[in-house]
Amino acid sequence: MDHKEMPCPTADTWGKSFPSGNELLKNISSDDTPLTSSQRSQQKWEDPSMLDYNARIEPPFQDFKQRSETQSSLPCNPNNHNKVTDEEDVQMNGTIQTEKIQDWDPRAMLNNLTFLEQKIHQLQDLVHLIVGRRSQALGRPDELVAQQKQLITADLTSIIVQLISTAGSLLPSVKPLSGTTPTGQLGQLGGLFLPSTVGLNGSVQLQNNSGSKVSDQSNQMDITVNCGNEQNYNMEEHESKDDEDADEGENLPPGSYEILQLEKEEILAPHTHFCTICGKGFKRDANLRMHMRGHGDEYKTPAALAKPNKEATSEPMLIKRYSCPYAGCKRNKEHKKFQPLKTILCVKNHYKRTHCDKSYTCSRCNTKKFSVIADLKTHEKHCGKDKWLCSCGTTFSRKDKLFGHIALFQGHTPAIPLEETKGPNVPPDRGEGNEAINKVRSINFNFGSNAPNGNEVQNTADVKGNIEDPTGYFSPLNFDTWNFGGFHEFPRPPYEDSESSLSFLIPGSCNYTVPGSCNFTQKTGAESSSNNPE
Amino acid sequence: MLLSVFTEDLLVRVYIKLGSESDRKTWRLVCKDFLRVDSVTRRSLRVLRSEFLHGLLSKYKNLDTLDLTVCPRIEDATVSVMLSQAVNSVSWTRWVTRLVLSRASGLRYGGLERLVGACPCLEVLDVSYCWVYGDREAWAISSVRGLRELRMDKCLGVSDVGLAKIAVGCGKLERLSLKWCMEISDLGVDLLCKKCLELKSLDVSYLKVTSESLRSIASLPKLELLAMVGCPFLDDYGLQFLEHGCPSLQAIDVSRCGCVSSSGLISVVRGHRGLAMLNAGYCFSELSAMVLYSLKDLKNLNTIRIDGAQVSDSSFQTFSTNCKSLVEIGLSKCVGVTNMGIMQLVYGCVGLKIVNLTCCRFITDEAISALANSCRNLVSLKLEACDKVTEKSLDQLGSCCLQLKELDLTDCCGVNDKGLKYLSRCSELLSLKLGLCTNISDKGLAYIAHNCTKISELDLYRCTSIGDDGLAALSSGFKNLMKLNLSYCNGVTDRGVQYIGCLGELSDLEMRGLVNLTSEGLTAVAAGCKKLSDLDLKHCGKIDDSGFWALSYYSRNMRQINMSYCAVSDVGLCMVLGNLTRLQDVKLVHLMNVTVKGFELALRACCVRIKKAKLIGSLRFLLSTEILETLHARGCKIRWE
Repeated sequence: MDHKEMPCPTADTWGKSFPSGNELLKNISSDDTPLTSSQRSQQKWEDPSMLDYNARIEPPFQDFKQRSETQSSLPCNPNNHNKVTDEEDVQMNGTIQTEKIQDWDPRAMLNNLTFLEQKIHQLQDLVHLIVGRRSQALGRPDELVAQQKQLITADLTSIIVQLISTAGSLLPSVKPLSGTTPTGQLGQLGGLFLPSTVGLNGSVQLQNNSGSKVSDQSNQMDITVNCGNEQNYNMEEHESKDDEDADEGENLPPGSYEILQLEKEEILAPHTHFCTICGKGFKRDANLRMHMRGHGDEYKTPAALAKPNKEATSEPMLIKRYSCPYAGCKRNKEHKKFQPLKTILCVKNHYKRTHCDKSYTCSRCNTKKFSVIADLKTHEKHCGKDKWLCSCGTTFSRKDKLFGHIALFQGHTPAIPLEETKGPNVPPDRGEGNEAINKVRSINFNFGSNAPNGNEVQNTADVKGNIEDPTGYFSPLNFDTWNFGGFHEFPRPPYEDSESSLSFLIPGSCNYTVPGSCNFTQKTGAESSSNNPE
Repeated sequence: MLLSVFTEDLLVRVYIKLGSESDRKTWRLVCKDFLRVDSVTRRSLRVLRSEFLHGLLSKYKNLDTLDLTVCPRIEDATVSVMLSQAVNSVSWTRWVTRLVLSRASGLRYGGLERLVGACPCLEVLDVSYCWVYGDREAWAISSVRGLRELRMDKCLGVSDVGLAKIAVGCGKLERLSLKWCMEISDLGVDLLCKKCLELKSLDVSYLKVTSESLRSIASLPKLELLAMVGCPFLDDYGLQFLEHGCPSLQAIDVSRCGCVSSSGLISVVRGHRGLAMLNAGYCFSELSAMVLYSLKDLKNLNTIRIDGAQVSDSSFQTFSTNCKSLVEIGLSKCVGVTNMGIMQLVYGCVGLKIVNLTCCRFITDEAISALANSCRNLVSLKLEACDKVTEKSLDQLGSCCLQLKELDLTDCCGVNDKGLKYLSRCSELLSLKLGLCTNISDKGLAYIAHNCTKISELDLYRCTSIGDDGLAALSSGFKNLMKLNLSYCNGVTDRGVQYIGCLGELSDLEMRGLVNLTSEGLTAVAAGCKKLSDLDLKHCGKIDDSGFWALSYYSRNMRQINMSYCAVSDVGLCMVLGNLTRLQDVKLVHLMNVTVKGFELALRACCVRIKKAKLIGSLRFLLSTEILETLHARGCKIRWE
C-alpha cells in the first residue's frame, strides 16, 4: 500500500486540487434526483474489479495516485466500504452526466458557467496557438516554452478557483431541493465527497507515519485537509492520564451542558476523529466532515467541508460533556456524583483504563500492563530506568526526585529491595550477598554454635547448596596431609604444671575450631576429657 | 554479720561510691549479698567475652548501658542467645537506653533489627566502625523511633537511602555522626536536615558533600556542634550559609577542608558571636589580619585550633587582648611561633589549660617558663619536636604547673635525667611521652617512677639509653601503668622485660624491634600482665614458639597482636590464634617459619572472631577461597601487604 502511494513527485498542489474540483462538479451533478435510484441499484454491484474498472475510466486529469489510495484504504475500513463504492459509482455516473448541471441551476449559476466556458475556450485557443507555433518553429528557446506553460497554468488556476466557488455557492441550496429524502441525500453526499478528502487524509496519515516528508506534505494539506487533523493525530501520542481528569476542577452546573453518551462499541472502535457534537468516531477526518453535515447547515459550507477550521467549531453552541456508558461508574450520567468527561478522548481513555482489560504488557519488565497503548509507550520510555523506589510504591527515574518526594510526604522512606541484586560471584572485598550470609550461618553451625535458631536445619541445607561439600570444608584430610608429627615434641614451657596445660590447650582449640581439629587432637593422643573450666 | 548492721539500701549507697572496675570486682567477691547488690545496682556493662554474654545478661536486669565493643563474635546468632531468655523472664533489655555495638561488624541487619527492636527505651546507639554496614542495617536502625544519638562512623556501605531511612524513622535524633560514611551525598544530608530538626550535633567529616549540604544544615534551628573535617568540596560559599543559619551554633570544626579560606571563616564568625570552639587547622596558609579582626568579637571562645597556619606575634597579641577565656589553643605545626608570641599569649590568656606547641621549633625555655608561670592550671602540654627545650623548662613546669597531667616531650633532645628529676614534682602526671629522648637514662626514669606514681601511659620509644634497671624502677613505681611503649629500646633484655610482668594493669605493650628479647621474657610478661590486650612484637626476631605458647596460655584477654617478623612457626601461630578467644586484630606479615597451611589452619581456628587481619599479599592467592570468603562474611577486613 505504501509503495503505491508514496512515490508521487509530480503530485504537486495542482495534482491534488484537480480531482477534488472535478469531483465537486461530479458530486453536484449527482445530486440530480432522478439519479438516486440508479445509484442505489449500482450499490449492489460492489465488486473490486468493478471499482478498478471505474478507476480506469476516470477522466484523464484525475490523479491516478489518489484513486489507488482510495482503493487501498478500502479494506482497512469496512464501515466506509459502502460509501466508497457509492462514491465510485457516482463518479462514473458523474462523468456521464456532466452536461446536466445547468438543468436545474438558477441564472447565476448559468452566468458563472458561461464565463467559465468562455475562459476554457480562451485557454483552448491559446493552447492551439502554442501548438501551431511549435509546429512552425521547432528548436525555440526554452524560456518561451516555460512562459507559455506558466500562462496556461495561471489560466487553469483561475478556472478551477471559479469552478470551486461556483460549486460552493450551489451547496447550501441542496437541502431545500432534496427536502423529500434528506437522509438519503446526506448519505449520498457523505459518500460523494469521500474520494478527494479520504485520499488526502489517508496520505497525510501515511506521511505522518513515515515521519519524513511532513514539510512537502504540508502544501497538500493546505488545500483539503486541515492542520488540526495532524495535531489531533499527534495529540494522541502525547495524551497523558491527566486527559481524563482534566475537567475535575470545572464545576459546570448540571443542565448547563449537553450530556452525550457513546456506546461501548463506538468508544472501542479504532477511531481517531470524533464528532464534537454527538461523539461518533471516524477513522478519517474527511468522513467526520461528511458526517458533520448532518448536524446543520453551518457544516455544509465549502469552507467547512474543505477546511473544517476553528470558525466552524467556534460558533456559539451548548457546551458538550460526555458520559461513560458503564453503569455505576462515577463518570456515568446516572451516578449520583456524576462527573462528566470533557472530551471524546477523555471518554476513550477513561473507558479503556477503567473498564477494559489491560492487554498491553510492557515488553521490558513483563509485569506492567496497560489498556491504553499510549500509557504503555510512556511507561516503556521509563521502564527499567525507574530504579528509585519509595516505600509508597512510587518509582522515580532520578534519586533527587525520590528524595524530594520523601521530603514532602510524612513517613515515606526509600525502599530497599528485599533481594540483594548482587550476583553469587561477589568479590570478597565487597558485597554482602545472601550466599555469604548463608555461609556465615553454616559455619556457625559447623562450629557447633549454640544458637537456638529454628532455622538451623534450613541453614545447613543452604550450605549444601552453596558450598560443595560442607563436611569437607574443614575436612580432617587437611590435617592429615599436614605434618603434625612435631606436635608431640613441642617444647613444654617451664611453667607448665603437668597435663593441665596441654589439656587446657586442646579443649581450647577444640572449642573454637572444627570437628576436624578434634579428630586431630585425638590422634595426638591428648585426651580432651579434662576440660578446663574457662 | 556485717549484714545485720547494714541494710541493703546502705550497701547500695556504698557500692555506688566505688570507682574502678577492679574495686567492684573485689566487692562482688566478698559474699553473695554483696554480689546481689552488684547485680541489682549495676547500670553499665561492658562485656569482654561472648561466652559470658548469656550469663551476664541474665544476672544484670537493670542495665541502661550495654557495651559490646570489645566482645568478639557479636553476630546474628549471638543476638538470638542474648534475647533467648527474654521470653520466660524479665528481660535485661527493658531499661537499656544505650547500646554500643562499635566494631560489631559480624552483626547484620537481621540480628541488629531484633536487638534494637528488643530495647524499647533505646536512645543512644553506636555502630561505628561496622564497616560492612549498609542501607539494610540503617533500615534496621531506623525502627528505633526514640533514638537521640547515633554514631555510625565508617559504616562504609550506608548511602543516602540508608540515611533517608534513619532521617524519616528517627525524627528525634539530636546527635549524629556520619564520619567516613563515604556514600552519603548532599541529597541525604538535605533530607536529614529537613526531617531531623532536633539535631544538636552533626558530624559530616570526610564526606563528599558540597556547599549545598551547608545550605541545608544552616536550616537546623538547634545545631550546636558541626564537624566537617576533611570535606574536600566544602568552600567559603557554603560557609556563608552558616552566617545566617544555625542560631545556636557553638562549635565548628572545618579543619583540613582544602577549599575553605579566611573569608569563609570570617562569615561564620560574623554570624555567631557566641562561638566557643573553632577548629580551623590546616585550612589556610596564613592567619590573616581579617580573621584576627573577626576573632575579636568572640568573647566566649575557649578553644581555638589553627594548626598549620602561619602566624605572627601580633596574632597572639589579638588573642591575648580579646580572648581572655581561652582554655585551649592548638598551634601544632604553626609557622612563626616565637618566644615573643607565646609570652604575649600567656600574658592575657592565663586560664589556658591545654596547649599544643607540636613542632614549634623556635620555642625555647624562655617561652615555656613564661607559660608555666602564667598558666598555673596547665593540664596538657605538647612540645613534640621542640628541641630547644631543656631541663630549665621542666624545672619551671615542675615548680609551677602541679596540675599537669599530660606532657609530650617526644623528640626533645634537650630533655635529660636532670630535667626528669625536676619534672617528677608534677605528681599528677598521667601520661608522659619521652620517645626519641636519647639523653634520658635509667636514672632519670627512676626519678619519675618514684614520684609520678599515677602515670598510666609511658612512651619510651627509641630511648636507647634505657636499660633493664630502668624497667626495674618502672615496674616498682608505675603500678597503674596501662600503656607502655618500649619499641626499639635496644638496651632492654629478657631480664628487664621480666620486670614488666609485675605491672598487673598493663593492657597495651609495644615492644617492637627488641632484638634481645626472647621467649623467656615474653613468657614472663604473659604470665604477669593478665590484662594485656594489645601487644606489638614486630621485629622481635628471637621470640619463637615457646613464647607464643605461653602467650596463648596466659593472655586470655589479648585483643590485638602484631607478630610480624617473629620466629613463630605453624604450631605457635595456631596456638595463638586458636586459643586467644578475645583476639580480634592480628598482623601476621613476614612470618618466615609459617607455611601456607599453617596460615590456613590458624585463620580457620580464629575466623569466627577475628575482625581485622594483615597478611602478606601473596597469601591472597595461596589461601583457600573458602577461608577468605568466610572471613569476609564474618565482617573481617583483610589488609594485604
